[in-house]
Amino acid sequence: MEPIIHIENVHKHFGIVHALRGVSLDVRKGEVVVIIGPSGSGKSTLLRCINRLEEYDAGRIVVDDIPLDNAQNINAVRQEIGIVFQAFNLFAHLTVMQNLTLAQHVVRKRSKDESQKIAVELLAKVGIPDKASAYPIQLSGGQQQRVAIARALAMNPKIMLFDEPTSALDPEMIKEVLDVMLALAKEGMTMVVVSHEMGFARAAANRMILMDEGQIIDEATPEKFFTSSHERTKQFLGKVLHMI
Amino acid sequence: MEEQPQLRPTRSKLAYLPGAESLMRIDPWWGLVVLVVALTIILVTVSADPFRNILLFVSDGILVTVFITVTSFAVILIVGMIGGLGRLSRNWFIHGVATLYVEIVRGIPLLVQLLAWYFAFPAVIQGIGQWLNIPAMANYRSNAIFTAIVGLTVCYGAYMSEIYRAGIQSIPKGQMEAARSLGMTHLQSMRHVILPQAIRVILPPLGNEFIALLKDSCLVSVVAVADLTRRGREFMAVHFNPIEVWLMVALLYLVLTLFLSRGVAWIEKKTRFER
Repeated sequence: MEPIIHIENVHKHFGIVHALRGVSLDVRKGEVVVIIGPSGSGKSTLLRCINRLEEYDAGRIVVDDIPLDNAQNINAVRQEIGIVFQAFNLFAHLTVMQNLTLAQHVVRKRSKDESQKIAVELLAKVGIPDKASAYPIQLSGGQQQRVAIARALAMNPKIMLFDEPTSALDPEMIKEVLDVMLALAKEGMTMVVVSHEMGFARAAANRMILMDEGQIIDEATPEKFFTSSHERTKQFLGKVLHMI
Repeated sequence: MEEQPQLRPTRSKLAYLPGAESLMRIDPWWGLVVLVVALTIILVTVSADPFRNILLFVSDGILVTVFITVTSFAVILIVGMIGGLGRLSRNWFIHGVATLYVEIVRGIPLLVQLLAWYFAFPAVIQGIGQWLNIPAMANYRSNAIFTAIVGLTVCYGAYMSEIYRAGIQSIPKGQMEAARSLGMTHLQSMRHVILPQAIRVILPPLGNEFIALLKDSCLVSVVAVADLTRRGREFMAVHFNPIEVWLMVALLYLVLTLFLSRGVAWIEKKTRFER
């Protein structure tokens, strides 16, 4: 089957820092890929290259048969890719409902009624149907992140990217966000997740990837990954699992 | 622990006086307004000559001052936004033009700019008109009020550009990234996400600029605009009573700026949002 995300020998520099050193990765439709790795390993950069929030210097990325090599079609590609950030990034001046409907109006050209209907459904799906008229600041971190997921889903993306979605959350809020992500994975959403939530990875991932110093070091199904013989994987998992 | 009798602060002691609490809630600013307005009214009614005469004489000047300030400010809001966006543009040419505009204009005194617009600019137009043999340009005469508005707009537009730029830059980068990642264009993201938030940030400095503009508008009196200041000078030239004239003119400016600053505070309160 054709991969929905095709990444081929991608390089990225930030000044003198060589952040991505020839990364290649294929993600098939419906697959859930979890990327782990120490900070500065390039995992977030790789994720952000997939919807061109970062431009890459060399290599090739093709998303849903659309190459990202020029910026002309980037808005078309971004409509198909939802991204959830560590810092939520909800629009601070808009209510939850407006956060969910803005891009539907502006980008998808949906009517007010239609976009609100979709928003209401999604808020119910992420478990906060009663917060439509609240402002982001009035919500807990976990609620904000679930709104952010709903906002991305409102565009009917084919792919969802998660950039450390639970790293900024209190421990008791992590579960409510992971539950939403787990449900999404069960529905067959294609997901690329940068996260050190090993419980989620075990339950939802089809494939796990370890990145270090801008390269993919190890790659396997969760069962094999957690018993990997790779020295770096063992070492890193030891630290992550110890942390929990 | 045994409860100690608390020392009551002065404020709550005053509250026992009937009506004191509601008095305390009044903004001290209103007291100043009442004082200034009352002083003006008393002067005008008690001492009709010269204060009432001065007020009647300069009243058309008040209208000119307000008209020039309001009109200029409306245009400045737009010029400043364009300038601010230009300063943030990634296109080197747009960025360069905007930066040049801001740096040049900010380095020249407003009075000099106004004199240049009034005297030098028409001369340049006339010169070009004669050279190219275009009568309409050769016979160009400057309109004082129009020149004043152009001069104030160009100058304050530069300051305003920097306020817009700072306001836009104060919005976290993640807001733009979130908007772009939903498929919005740069322009749509600016319009729907960044600018609405930036406006709230820049409202206080914006209000300050408006008040500063009202005061600086008195400089247009040197380029033949019959504003409040110039009308005051004209009255003084005839009757030679400087103390009364400038007391009256100062009070009138004070009334205008005090009400404006309150208006700005009110708008700020109305548009405040939590973040």
